[in-house]
Amino acid sequence: MSTGKYLRVNGTEYQIPGQWLGRRLLDYLRHELRLVSVKEGCGEGDCGACTVFVDAEPMCACLLLCGVVAGRNIITVEGLPQDFRQRFAQLCEKHGGLQCGYCTPGFTMMSAWLSGGGTETGKDPLDKLLAGNICRCSVYQQLKKVVAELT
Amino acid sequence: MNSRPPLSTASFRERALAGARYAADIIPPDTVLAEIVRSPHTHARVKRIDSRATLAVPGVLAVLTAEDFEGIRLGHLCADEPILSSVARYFGDGIAAVAAKDRQSLMRGIEALRIDYELLPHAITIDDALASPVAIHDFCADNIAEKFQAVRGDWQAINSRVALWVENTFETAAIPHAYLEPRACLVRVDGKRLELVCGSHAPSMMADFYRPIVAGWGSQLEVVTPAIGGSFGAKWEHPSQLVCLLFAQRLQRDVAMVLSRRDDMIAGRTRAAMRIRMRIGATAEGELVAKETTLWCDNGAYSLHGPAVMKAAAIRGDNLYRFSAIKADAQLVYTNNMPSECFRGFGITQSTFALEQLIDELARRLKLDPAKLRLSNTVREGDTAVHGWKIGSCGIADCLDGISNRIDRHRRDNALPRSERYRTGYGLAAFIHCIGNRGYDKRFDRAFVTLRTLPEGGIRISSGEVELGCGTVEVLIKTVARELATNRDQLEVVLGDTATGPHGMGSYASRTSFFVAMAALDACRRFKRAAEQMRVEFGMTKPAEIGELVARARQQQRLGDLEVTGDYQPSGVVVPDETGYGNISAAYTFGAHGCCVQVDTYTGKVTVTQYWAAHDAGTIVNLNETQGQVIGGVIQGLGFALTECASVAESGQLLNPGYLDDRVPTFPDAPPVEVLFTDTYEKKGPAGAKTIGEPPIIPVPACIANAIRDAVGVRVYQLPMTSERLWRAINDDDARSGPKGN
Repeated sequence: MSTGKYLRVNGTEYQIPGQWLGRRLLDYLRHELRLVSVKEGCGEGDCGACTVFVDAEPMCACLLLCGVVAGRNIITVEGLPQDFRQRFAQLCEKHGGLQCGYCTPGFTMMSAWLSGGGTETGKDPLDKLLAGNICRCSVYQQLKKVVAELT
Repeated sequence: MNSRPPLSTASFRERALAGARYAADIIPPDTVLAEIVRSPHTHARVKRIDSRATLAVPGVLAVLTAEDFEGIRLGHLCADEPILSSVARYFGDGIAAVAAKDRQSLMRGIEALRIDYELLPHAITIDDALASPVAIHDFCADNIAEKFQAVRGDWQAINSRVALWVENTFETAAIPHAYLEPRACLVRVDGKRLELVCGSHAPSMMADFYRPIVAGWGSQLEVVTPAIGGSFGAKWEHPSQLVCLLFAQRLQRDVAMVLSRRDDMIAGRTRAAMRIRMRIGATAEGELVAKETTLWCDNGAYSLHGPAVMKAAAIRGDNLYRFSAIKADAQLVYTNNMPSECFRGFGITQSTFALEQLIDELARRLKLDPAKLRLSNTVREGDTAVHGWKIGSCGIADCLDGISNRIDRHRRDNALPRSERYRTGYGLAAFIHCIGNRGYDKRFDRAFVTLRTLPEGGIRISSGEVELGCGTVEVLIKTVARELATNRDQLEVVLGDTATGPHGMGSYASRTSFFVAMAALDACRRFKRAAEQMRVEFGMTKPAEIGELVARARQQQRLGDLEVTGDYQPSGVVVPDETGYGNISAAYTFGAHGCCVQVDTYTGKVTVTQYWAAHDAGTIVNLNETQGQVIGGVIQGLGFALTECASVAESGQLLNPGYLDDRVPTFPDAPPVEVLFTDTYEKKGPAGAKTIGEPPIIPVPACIANAIRDAVGVRVYQLPMTSERLWRAINDDDARSGPKGN
């Protein structure tokens, strides 16, 4: 069923099936496209584990309906440049930037955003920019070093 | 299905590349989904369940209720939790379960379910439960699930020695574990074989527990462990798993359940809340003589590990000091709250909040330096502590020195003018902890590691212990690569796969690295012995490269001879007696923490500006991961100390089942943490190492409380020490008097 609505995800264009227009982008990415790096931690926009880029801005995929972001450009961890992902992983190893790893995809997206200049960088300290991502293993201090070295 | 290769455990690198697969990531899109229908009442008897309308919803496949789980109860220590209950004993207790072919049908089915309740009076505080005429369980009329007492030393003799008692009552809050990955499980069915894919920190124990139940349905069970998104003590058995197992067995289809954040926080377990009345007595010179503890532990509606957590809280921390006499009297009380469970520190985190504040207060009264007072009273190598712990390597003196120096230097270098509004203070607290617990399971405290040479090349390392992000995979790879002089990329790790791996007790009690490394060392010894035998047999003259030997073995179809299982059981440990006396662990860990806080006296807000954590974790093998555990534990402790709380309304309803209102620390909350390790070698440990998992959280609330006292002269005796509570304490003159002495 074509609705004329599409999404561009990691560079590929997808027609959004009609029944998905009123459903969460998070579920579409995870269940339809099997992009399971996008994690659900809370479903309420508090934890940041489902952070994706919508037209290059980080947003929680659990708060967006597919229909609302129709026509926009979505990037998930799978769509980030390989060399960035490798570099992020190396720095995580160097600084101990993760433990259980469940929040890692969200932090990867935030790190990519910040290292790309992030539209508000400079206005707020790093702490504040990353306050929307929860790591219950609480490796914040280590992640700060990862991000600092990336940016 | 049996041909599916075992799921290899995600390494640090795979997790860093977002490639780790957690239970919810593994569920195929067309899997049958199940959900538990939870009680909206805190205490109520189910009068009637009408599922006709639910079963009429297209796509709904089945409904389960209490009757389907007749006679089945969860609980390792006291089996009292029904899978689905005919009496709701807490807000969110599972009453029924629905399975459907997709989420939409599932939601419609749940909506159509009619459950009639008869409301019962509820008790959500310890006092109400003790005074209540209503029994929460039929078998327990007084709502006291368990009692514990311990008395040691000559209480007649100590009275003449004690010059000063300090005493107070402390309260700690129930908090959800709030791991980021909500509970999820997938059951795959293949005829009579059920395979439970779920992130548990004790998969073998889970299989041990579920197998007799599943056998009663005529099926067999294996457990597979995917990546685990945090547990912190919570992810033991849970009704959601048995619900999926029974649906899968009945429907003969794969079934999955993923809890929402809300359901996970309502029904996912909490840290046990406690009320602790404690007094300690000392001589005028500051020698600690006696300690008396009366403790009430809020079990919640079901027991889980409540009995053990209560006992640990009542006495374990005592082993740090050379007390001559101890009294402990503890009660575990059933309430209509969410069931409590182990949570990093196993009760000692709660009681240390009391003990280390009293020690601090004693130092103030005696005008002694708090670090020196501790230094002159802690146990030393060679001691048998008051509850029978045999102290081996012990770096507590270095920890206390290190923290004391850091505080002194910081105080000197940051001599800020005291403003009327903002006050600065320093605090210090110490702890002792064990590595595993021989008393946990009557059978043994033990670990196995299997090495299996694979037909396609390389060696598979299997263990029943799991990776929670603490570095189990790395410990195993490092140990085996070093011992067998083989390349890391030749090694694959499979953890928590009951079908192909050995049994494991689980990753709790700060035992994993120590136990798996010891078992891996044993496995490597056996492997080398087997390889040597084979080399001689093959007539290979010089000491063969492992790779060469394996090639020959493969050729001759003798790979099976290169499969070995290493075993580790600590020596000299015993199951403690009923008063908790006995050496439960091969070695003990120690530490001291210090911090600097700034208190805004206008608002009561506490900002921790600097934190120091000194640990004796033996010889450090993986510096990054060990350090990471310390920093993470400290920040988690910060939440427990200042902000986190399961807020329960008078109705019993949990008011904050989400991250927005249950304030776990985030980036801006995290102060810089400096980590110090002592130069200790534990001769019973692998390469001199001890462990680190739980310890870093244990002294945090007391450390911050002592700094608050230093800053503003008052204490908040209740966790969390919120701005409001501290503001009230600052503005209430009565509170300034501090703990009462005689």
